[in-house]
Amino acid sequence: MPATETDALVARLIGQLERRRASGEGVTAAEAAAAAADRMMAWGAGRAVVPDDPWLVELGVPAALAASGVEVLTWPPTLSPRELLGLDGAPATCGVTVPAAAVAERGTLVLESGPGHGRALDVLGPFHLALLRASRVVDTLAEALAPRFRGRRPPSAVSLVSGPSRTSDIEKISTLGAHGALSEHVLIVVDA
Amino acid sequence: MRALLMRTCLADLAAPAVARAARGALERAGVQVLVPRRQTCCGQPAWSAGHPEQARAVARRTLRAFAGEDPVVVPSGSCAAMLVHGYPELFADDPEAGAARALASRTLELSQFLVRHDLSPGSGASGAVTYHDSCHMLRILGERDSPRAALAGVAGLELREMADTEVCCGFGGTFALSFPEVSGSLGEQKARNAAATGADELVACDLSCLLHIVGRARRVGVPLRARHLAEVLAA
Amino acid sequence: MRLRVRRTSGGTAPPPRVAYPETEALRERAREALQDDQLRGNLRAAAGSWAKGQAAVRERYPFAEMRAEARRIRTEDIRRLPELLDLLEERVRAAGGTVVRVADGEAACRYVVELARRRGARLLAKSKSMATEEIKLNEALEEAGLRVVETDLGEWILQLRGDHPSHIIAPAVHLNRDQIADLFRRHSGEEIPNDREALIAYARRRLREDFAAADIGVSGVNLAVAETGTLCVMENEGNVRLVTALPPVHVALLGMERVVADWEEAALFLELLPMAAINDDAATYVSLITGTRAPDEAGDGPTELHLVILDGGRSALRGTPFEEALHCIRCGACLYSCPMWRSVGGQAYGSPYSGPIGAVITPLLEGMRGERSSELPFFSSLCGACHQACPVGIPLHDLLVRARAAVDTPASRRARLAFRAWSILWRWPPTYRASVALARIGLAVMGRRGWVRRLPGPGAAWTDQRDLPSRWPPHP
Repeated sequence: MPATETDALVARLIGQLERRRASGEGVTAAEAAAAAADRMMAWGAGRAVVPDDPWLVELGVPAALAASGVEVLTWPPTLSPRELLGLDGAPATCGVTVPAAAVAERGTLVLESGPGHGRALDVLGPFHLALLRASRVVDTLAEALAPRFRGRRPPSAVSLVSGPSRTSDIEKISTLGAHGALSEHVLIVVDA
Repeated sequence: MRALLMRTCLADLAAPAVARAARGALERAGVQVLVPRRQTCCGQPAWSAGHPEQARAVARRTLRAFAGEDPVVVPSGSCAAMLVHGYPELFADDPEAGAARALASRTLELSQFLVRHDLSPGSGASGAVTYHDSCHMLRILGERDSPRAALAGVAGLELREMADTEVCCGFGGTFALSFPEVSGSLGEQKARNAAATGADELVACDLSCLLHIVGRARRVGVPLRARHLAEVLAA
Repeated sequence: MRLRVRRTSGGTAPPPRVAYPETEALRERAREALQDDQLRGNLRAAAGSWAKGQAAVRERYPFAEMRAEARRIRTEDIRRLPELLDLLEERVRAAGGTVVRVADGEAACRYVVELARRRGARLLAKSKSMATEEIKLNEALEEAGLRVVETDLGEWILQLRGDHPSHIIAPAVHLNRDQIADLFRRHSGEEIPNDREALIAYARRRLREDFAAADIGVSGVNLAVAETGTLCVMENEGNVRLVTALPPVHVALLGMERVVADWEEAALFLELLPMAAINDDAATYVSLITGTRAPDEAGDGPTELHLVILDGGRSALRGTPFEEALHCIRCGACLYSCPMWRSVGGQAYGSPYSGPIGAVITPLLEGMRGERSSELPFFSSLCGACHQACPVGIPLHDLLVRARAAVDTPASRRARLAFRAWSILWRWPPTYRASVALARIGLAVMGRRGWVRRLPGPGAAWTDQRDLPSRWPPHP
């Protein structure tokens, strides 16, 4: 795909993430680790649960987080469900994800479960940080689903995530922070 | 131009003036009006209440009274919707299915007929009116524009739109009798919305809605005058 | 439960007839709801905000085209339903899931209760599911001594109140912030301010305890994709994700009609449903679940998936004049659009499914038996706003008329008798004219001053709420 087309998709995705009350920014592979650590600091996250993904290590994300004082746990973490969910006085957790795709038109991330990527990663704690390869951004939801799953069994859990957790169950006014993440930020690695 | 006029049973019962006005408006617009002597009711009350067999027996009379090729004009969105939308289903498994479909295809509500044929009765009505979109007119016939166009064609008339004009007035045929409290509450809201426009009168294409709305308005003390669209056009 | 709706090859089959007792309970519940100013205010606010958002959605997206396409797909998929269900079952099993098809709610409840017993479960965490409301799963589990917690905020509020949902999508829409704050204060013994953020934070904290401790997660299914055996569950809060990720066992209850053939079709409904339900083009979370946790996955994901496919009267509707009721995707748009629902709320309907779709499917799924079946189809002015609101184009007003024709109660039999007499008089012009003349004389006599305040006989229900003008145009 020509670079300009990817740039347009990335720009569109960032706009739609903002509409969904999430946020996103384009970063280079060299900038990604520092940007991740900055975001974690800004949120005040004390713990990060990260997928077991060689790409993240390549980007230097776990190391940068650890260097800035965040407790880094690689999936699968050896924590009880209570600890994972941040009960019992656990530090504020940020779930880190590596989306398999993203839908520019809707501001939607496509998360696939896998050996190193838990299905609840993004809803464990109050924060969700996604590291997304720019080449994985597609335009429409239809493009993100049918071609991926045609002729193969989908991963056991695929999650479409469109912004932070919210509820309209009180007076029909959409309010953030129901059961999943209160904040979502997407680092779009433009040269990946 | 020639047309068959359906008087409607409700006009026969409660307001023969409406049928006369429909005839007058059409004639002034240059239409030769035939009023079939053997017409009764379109059968909708029974059909909507869940009695298709009883409805069919009466509807068959309408089917025959309005046989032929001439267009049929109905001064009621609801009765017109019954002919257009209800008859094909009511007669689906009947030898007269073809006749029912044919009747459906040449039936129009009064304002639809006038506007589609670019006819003007040259009404001398004046003042301000507000228009209630009756449900079957709006959502079954899909007709929002014709009655407004017909009103706009009356030089001395000003249309003041009310809030929620597309919301049901709560009449609903036997619903008005089965659930009178809910029906009355919706009718009251409609009457208040109409009165709030400050218009001189409420106009609609369905006498049933008007009887319900003005009747409720009087019961709860909302001053409201009402006329059928045919009467405004024939004035 | 055996449905007595007759099955035919299609077209307009003669409507089924079943008898049940007479009652005025719905009218009474409706009257009570009408007098509850707070309820009416809450409903008005909710329906108003939906209508405003819906208008914007319809302007922003090619809604009419999507609706036509959705209708085409639903028609085709319901026609192919047995084949699609077989494929779905095969694919779910191939992905490690267990599939059980149940004829009715009782069998569904029995299966879940027995499963819970076999696994020694004590706590089940549930996400919102109208099908579980339909089969009264919570009652069955509680009777069996199990604890079940609703984790959708709205449903949890209702569970704490001992209340029932008033809307398919927004179950607690009949309550306001103050009422919810009162409830949480009573529940917790804590001082919780009545701002939305604080109320939500309280629920988040309390329900995390249950997500962590649950032995079984229970969810509904918005849509199943036959080609891959995938279950789609849509939500905004994140509770579905937790309920389907953390407990070792996941039970999913699927109404058998909620199946699409492939991912192209699924993509349309994943957008159309939230557009109609919440005026957005996406739900915040969609969980697409294919079987159990894979052998190489660790950390979360259930090792057991039980897909319970509920018939509950649905298959008997195929090939009848009511088949289109199976097209429903449970978005709740027809509720918000309905003047009756907006007047009295969902609880007056006495069924988990309220509004126009509830007034149609409640009787049908109950086999046209029982009190509410005899009343619900009549609780509509047939205004057609529901059809306009429906994202899959179900002609609800036509289905309501057909349901009325299928009802057979003492009241409807009396009405039919009266309509038979009417029909004999009005099919002949001379008797028609005579009866009209008689009525006009009566009107003139009773309404000498221009209005009638009290009508006798069946007309009494008219003058219960309205005057009747004896001259036209009327003079106020």
